[in-house]
Amino acid sequence: MREQIKAALRASKADYTEIRLEQRESTRIVFRGNNLETADVTIDRGGIVRCLVRNGGWGIATFNDVSDLARRVEQAYQGARAIQGEPIELAPIPVTQDRITVSLQQDFRGTSVSEKKALAERYNAILTGLDPRIVDNQTYYADTFNHLTFANSDGTFIQEERPMVTTYFLAVARENGNVQQTFDGISRAAGFEVALGHEQWVQEIAQRAVDLLSAPRVKGGRYTVVCNPTLAGVFAHEAFGHLSEADFVYENPKAQEMMVLGRRFGQDFLTIVDDGSLPNLRATHKYDDEGTPTQRTELIKNGILVGRLHSRQTAAKMGEKPTGNARATGYRYPPIVRMTNTFIESGQTPFEEMIGDIDLGIYACDAYGGQTALENFSFSSGYAYMIRNGQLAEMVRDVILSGNLFVTLDSIDAVGNDFEWSERGMCGKGQGGLPVSDGSPHIRIRDVLIGGE
Amino acid sequence: MLERLMQQAEQAEVFEIENESTQIGFEANKLKSFQVEETRGIAARVMLDGRLGFAASSDLSAVDRLIENTLESARHGDALPLRFPLPQPGPTPQVHDPQLAALSTDRLIEIGQEIVDIVLAVEGGAHVNVNLERGARCTTLRNSAGVQVTAQKSPLTITVATERVEGDDVVLMFDYLTTTRWDEGHRDLAGRIADKLRLARRVTTLAPGRLPVLFSPTAALVLALPITEGLDGKNVYRGISPLAGRIGEQLFDQKLAVIDDPTIDGRPGSGSHDAEGVPHQQRALIDGGVLQGFIYDLKTAAQANVEPTGNGQRDLFRPPTPEFSNLVIQGGETPLAAVIAGIKKGLLVENVLGIGQGNVITGEFSNNLSLAFLIEGGEIVGRVKDVSIAGNIYQDLRQIEAVSQESQWVYGRFCLPYVLLPELNVVTKGE
Repeated sequence: MREQIKAALRASKADYTEIRLEQRESTRIVFRGNNLETADVTIDRGGIVRCLVRNGGWGIATFNDVSDLARRVEQAYQGARAIQGEPIELAPIPVTQDRITVSLQQDFRGTSVSEKKALAERYNAILTGLDPRIVDNQTYYADTFNHLTFANSDGTFIQEERPMVTTYFLAVARENGNVQQTFDGISRAAGFEVALGHEQWVQEIAQRAVDLLSAPRVKGGRYTVVCNPTLAGVFAHEAFGHLSEADFVYENPKAQEMMVLGRRFGQDFLTIVDDGSLPNLRATHKYDDEGTPTQRTELIKNGILVGRLHSRQTAAKMGEKPTGNARATGYRYPPIVRMTNTFIESGQTPFEEMIGDIDLGIYACDAYGGQTALENFSFSSGYAYMIRNGQLAEMVRDVILSGNLFVTLDSIDAVGNDFEWSERGMCGKGQGGLPVSDGSPHIRIRDVLIGGE
Repeated sequence: MLERLMQQAEQAEVFEIENESTQIGFEANKLKSFQVEETRGIAARVMLDGRLGFAASSDLSAVDRLIENTLESARHGDALPLRFPLPQPGPTPQVHDPQLAALSTDRLIEIGQEIVDIVLAVEGGAHVNVNLERGARCTTLRNSAGVQVTAQKSPLTITVATERVEGDDVVLMFDYLTTTRWDEGHRDLAGRIADKLRLARRVTTLAPGRLPVLFSPTAALVLALPITEGLDGKNVYRGISPLAGRIGEQLFDQKLAVIDDPTIDGRPGSGSHDAEGVPHQQRALIDGGVLQGFIYDLKTAAQANVEPTGNGQRDLFRPPTPEFSNLVIQGGETPLAAVIAGIKKGLLVENVLGIGQGNVITGEFSNNLSLAFLIEGGEIVGRVKDVSIAGNIYQDLRQIEAVSQESQWVYGRFCLPYVLLPELNVVTKGE
């Protein structure tokens, strides 16, 4: 294959050409209720060719049949020629020859489907057996082993193995017309061991669904909110992180004004970082999907906007350096600017102190989802508690936080000393789910709008 | 392949996909990308010793392993009384348009440029992103009971996202067009966006409280989504649908009628059969506010011991699940202009954030509004920011003030009118 790839690149008439091939095999076990939904193995093979004609644009061809790469290069080149655009430059990066192999603690390729099914079945029995009010549940296990090849016309050739093990759990409790659900999971670029030993956690997930049945809906209004590390991490990613992706600003002078480096976004103790090079996290890679080495990029440092995330194209356009954030959701997609492992750095405030002077507030935990429209955001917390007179009080449900980013970042008035990673994130920007990690300690935000009756 | 599976299993099914598409992308008003996509793949299912197995591959050279994986999957499967269907005739809506399939790349680029130009003529400072995707999709389903159904569709989808940034004020707007029949509808699409951008220039404030809320077709998905979850046979079988066991009951205002309609010409959701070979049929699911039925695929129907309804939909790597073909909320009596003219003070919701987040199955919704307008004295007076709405469709759809005559296709498979609810809780930052 190596020679075919090199020959196809040599034959390209484009100014820049890259080829990315993937071959992945996945095993998936899904239980719903007491029934097995599926236990299956799927094989996915395909590739993408991307050609740049400097005074034209990007032409792209994606395919499953990898037998005729020269034809795919020609298709992509013709596409690039169809565009009459402004010149596109790519910031320079080192030419790389590398082969990245993984050694897994417990290689899931050597584990039988029966064993994987038995594990999922054990977890599922915990969900179904906990309480008769649990009326629906799901246990999901999946592993994927991906062989990835990336090569470009500058001479870079990278072969990489990318494993991923994912397991998640869903519990739905019902009492009369009241239906409550909880969801949690873990996913990591590692071996079968990731899926082991979660019995206690699965039980907590199921118990929480039952507990939510007796939790009242939160009363809408404006509150001081303490976010647990998971929710705070999602907030950092969704509400702020997407604005620091350079593809949002690089062609838009007004947006550049809004996101001008040096602007104050928060108080001195707020620092937000993206780092794709941290070991063993979900979005960790040695290189991004353009072959740029990943790195630590500070986005907000001590409250001031100091950096943003780049692909080669956005970096060239803005006269900055590529940051290793061009990522693609598989071979169907060209790389675009994406976050990797994004986090709010640990601060000073212990949790007790953070809630200690709140007369009436909300402790919001986990996230069901979040969406942003640039300056506006909306997040659902998975579960929450009222804070009354400096103490955690009753559980409440349906806590949905919304607000304006600029106001809200500035309203973060405490950052905890209890940093945690959350290893379940998927980011849906443009191309559907791409693994990301979010991290944060507890944070406290003043004056947050909570929807509700 | 089917023959080889039939030699080893009681029943077998092979589903083949062969898709091609061309995508053209305008970014920030300029033509930026051109993408061609070819998809090939095979999914197989068998019933072996009364157990269902599934596997799929996009590597057509790996047929032996696909067969092996399918049989292995069945060995782990649950016992299930599932029968792949016999050949039966279905409706014949038009889903393939040779004129659309033949639109040249140059013409597609022109169409994108026309959209950009129409929007910029109204709002020179806007950034317009347009994505045009023209597909040629062909699926073939064969099973051991003799079914052989080939579906050829030529969908065109145009997605337009605009943003306008003024200081810290960002106006974002999304709109879509999906069709399998070419009718130059892109000018209406661009015109709608231009109109809304014009309206969005004036910003006004709104005090929190309970107000009439008019949902645009795009925003009406807030109301339609919990209904689709409630009507899904899988949620009914699991006992989590609030609609389970309530067929024949008046659960909503009599103005509400919901139809699953795979017989409409020109829609990508239409066709003769579902993806399991069961004939498609037009079905009223809610009529005059009264619940009429649910949707099922083969597996859920077998579990629930009911007849499948022709709603099995699948992707290459995802086994079939119950899904709507085209979900239509029927238009009403009142023209939109008259609906708006009748509102003394209320909110028009165009785009929301956070659809599908939160506790959808219970009917609850709570959404921040990315684009909403204040209506006063029967007229749209300005855009309102930092507003959210909340409610529960099983309470709030018991009384519908008006449903517009006009409907619009949104998100590809939903045909929705404007829906006016008499009162919803509106949270704002206004005074």
